[in-house]
Amino acid sequence: MPGATLRELETAVVAEAEAGRMQRSLALLAGLTSGLSGLEVGYMHYRAGFGQRIMWTPIVMTQALQAAGIAAAIQPKLARTLLPAVSALTAVDCATGWFFHIRGIARKPGGWRLIVPNLAMGPPLFAPLLLGISAYLGILAARLQPEFSSASVPAGLRESIERHLCLATGIAALCSGGEALYSHHKNNFRYWVQWTPIAVAPALAAAAFARRGPRWLLPALSVAAMADGAAGFGYHARGILRRPGGHKHLIYNILYGPPVLAPLLFAACGFFGLLATALRGK
Amino acid sequence: MKCYREEEAVDYCIVGVGSAGAVLLQRLARAGFKVVGLEAGPFWDTERDWVSDEAGSHQLYWTDLRITGGSDPIALGENNSGRGVGGGSVHWAAFVPRLHPSDFRTYTEDGVGCDWPISYKDLKPYYELIEREMPAAGPAWFTWGDPHGYPYGPHPMGGVGDTLVRGCTKLGIRVCAGGPVAILSGSRADRPHCIYRGFCIQGCKVGAKQSTLISHVPDAIAHGAEIRDRSMVARIHLGPNRRVNAVTYFDRDGREHVQRARAIIVCGYAIETPRLLFNSACPGFEQGLANSSGLLGHYLMVQAGNVVAGRFPDLVRLYKAPPAHAMTEEFYETDPKRDFARGFAVQTVGPLPIAFAKQMAKAKGAWGWGLREVMMDYNHWSTLGVLGEILPAYDNKIELAEEKDDFGLPVAHVTFSLHENDHKMIRFAVKKVEEILLAAGAKEVVEEQRYAHLVGAARMGTRPENSIVDGFCRTHDIANLFICDGSVFPTQGSANPGLTIQALAARTADYLNQQGEAIFTSSHVSREKPPVRRDLSPPVTFGSGVPRV
Ligand SMILES: Cc1cc2nc3c(=O)[nH]c(=O)nc-3n(C[C@H](O)[C@H](O)[C@H](O)COP(=O)(O)OP(=O)(O)OC[C@H]3O[C@@H](n4cnc5c(N)ncnc54)[C@H](O)[C@@H]3O)c2cc1C
Ligand code: SF4
Repeated sequence: MPGATLRELETAVVAEAEAGRMQRSLALLAGLTSGLSGLEVGYMHYRAGFGQRIMWTPIVMTQALQAAGIAAAIQPKLARTLLPAVSALTAVDCATGWFFHIRGIARKPGGWRLIVPNLAMGPPLFAPLLLGISAYLGILAARLQPEFSSASVPAGLRESIERHLCLATGIAALCSGGEALYSHHKNNFRYWVQWTPIAVAPALAAAAFARRGPRWLLPALSVAAMADGAAGFGYHARGILRRPGGHKHLIYNILYGPPVLAPLLFAACGFFGLLATALRGK
Repeated sequence: MKCYREEEAVDYCIVGVGSAGAVLLQRLARAGFKVVGLEAGPFWDTERDWVSDEAGSHQLYWTDLRITGGSDPIALGENNSGRGVGGGSVHWAAFVPRLHPSDFRTYTEDGVGCDWPISYKDLKPYYELIEREMPAAGPAWFTWGDPHGYPYGPHPMGGVGDTLVRGCTKLGIRVCAGGPVAILSGSRADRPHCIYRGFCIQGCKVGAKQSTLISHVPDAIAHGAEIRDRSMVARIHLGPNRRVNAVTYFDRDGREHVQRARAIIVCGYAIETPRLLFNSACPGFEQGLANSSGLLGHYLMVQAGNVVAGRFPDLVRLYKAPPAHAMTEEFYETDPKRDFARGFAVQTVGPLPIAFAKQMAKAKGAWGWGLREVMMDYNHWSTLGVLGEILPAYDNKIELAEEKDDFGLPVAHVTFSLHENDHKMIRFAVKKVEEILLAAGAKEVVEEQRYAHLVGAARMGTRPENSIVDGFCRTHDIANLFICDGSVFPTQGSANPGLTIQALAARTADYLNQQGEAIFTSSHVSREKPPVRRDLSPPVTFGSGVPRV
């Protein structure tokens, strides 16, 4: 019975997670979200003409982190060596990027005095932090044990990782929500659905940070964020196709239409939340 | 800035520091030559002199007296040449498409116009260089002519571009969005990116739009070039051995000076270049300097620039983007199914209110209250421009008029008439643009007849009998006199000329560099192709932007 096999698999996965052996999944997750961010950075920096040389570094780093994440999932040894090294480098790059994005906003006419328009029109403030979350996951993965390994996990590690994951979920949700807030504001909240990520994100962040409250809250909000991200992806894709030229000018319209991958990054926050839930144990 | 003494013969004296002149000045200075640029207009202080105001920007143009005639006279002044360091590039819209390979061989391919002495291949490396130096923003893949991509990402479209893309997509016409345009889509070094306020033609105060004033002149000065502004060159002196050796010019106070030079390059734009050469007539060259062929001033060309405007029920807001941001070259080449040779491009134009009012006064005959009513609708109109190739004709020409300017120099008399092929092309093009606007949802379309971009009148060619200069812009008659600006174009294609003018200047600079001292000392004419010098680009040309694949 496939249903039964699936149930068994799920139990096994949850058991491994609860035991704190989920290095491969986390490495893979770090790699894949980094790849996703890389695509987003790629077209955003292309749109800005790669005017500064440093704009190439996140492209290189996201690709490297993606490769390292996948490699680490295959070869546990790399998860302890290559992955944390690449992740740390990526984290430094993200911090640098954050500085440049902040400076970019400050340098716009009016600077901080015209914060609302400059936030909306300047470089995206939270985007480098979102990439930073992937680097963070990469570093976390190094501390775990691979799935189905016989090695035991040091006492307290699981809780510690769970706390870290909750933190990651919360920060990522706030960053994602912040991005949604000002870019939907730029669009004047033309559609009511544009409010949904703004409502879900802080709730998810609160549930992730406050480790009390009902047990179902974090997973429920995580699922909501994932569903919202998926729906957002659909809406963004529709927005792109509705631009003049539609699919005949696909690349151009992706470049200037609603950011097609951004909702998926929001969905990823939900996924982090679910992982954290899985680690919570009984 | 360096100062040369007048008695001291500099290596090169460049007349006119405009699109071409500034590129030459910068490269020759970087290569170590002593160069002086004499410029009739002012040296702009972009912060002080330029305003984001349509009416306040008229001093950018050459609005001195010129006489116009012929059966289809061209309006002269604010729709053609510039005046001041940077020349026309200060007030151009900065559309920078390349010529197509076929443009260089229209006579061989289509039996019209004439062939260039150089091919597209000769100019291609310089197109690539200048596109980086500007730098040009545009699609990653530009499909027409010789397909290529642009070093900076395309710009977001404004309302006019939207209508062009929508109309073309409906009709199945390929169209490109967001360029090619020499406007920064991302900041680079000390130049900020575009802020989409649409004042490009008024001299971009921000510095996002390229003009040679901001892209090449600073580097020229840094490498020892001198620019004397408000210096109007009156004549070029011919010395012994059929070699030029000095120019006479009037400074800002009207005082006369003579600058000695070992070689002279005239870069004064399609009208002023022939005028200067006519005014420099002397024994041995009674019909004008370097005019043994008698062709100087002939084959003047201008592109058909008819504007078609469409009124849309929804807001278009035509001012909210650079005027240049989307185009199609689908009708560029000769199509045997049509009854005329060569073709046209369709481009966005975004006139600000005064220009728009003038267009509407012409197109609709709107006046008084009627004009006011149209203007209240300004935000609902979209304007697309035809850019059509008018074939070179002997009888379209520049001569000297009886009238004189403030310095007592005879002014130019321009005669221009359209011919049969031109009429057919314009009719077809206007109809096509109307179709595009209607397909995009326009409820009313009107048309204004107009021209754009003067070139020609000192054409390049293979032999002294059929042209004024050779493929390296050297006059056939005088070994150390060069003409390097839009006036050397034998044909003009349907691409805006600015990029090609700057690319030709870069190539000429490479030629002069390769020839070295020989230009000043020998009358032997070498036809050896110069190697491409990438090391003469201004700083920050490489290392930013998207690498070319
Ligand atoms: C409104 C407008 C929009 C345009 N848009 C585009 C566009 O989008 N794309 C494009 O490719 N082209 C465009 N053009 C055309 C482009 O600007 C010109 O083709 C180009 O600048 C010509 O370059 P040039 O070097 O031949 O002459 P210019 O750039 O005009 O330079 C000539 C210089 O020589 C000086 N000069 C002339 N005679 C003398 C003398 N006797 N002594 C001293 N100095 C002298 C002049 O003052 C001037 O500065 C546009 C033009 C206009 C008017
Ligand atoms: S629209 Fe852009 S390029 Fe044009 S004037 Fe404004 S800032 Fe300059």
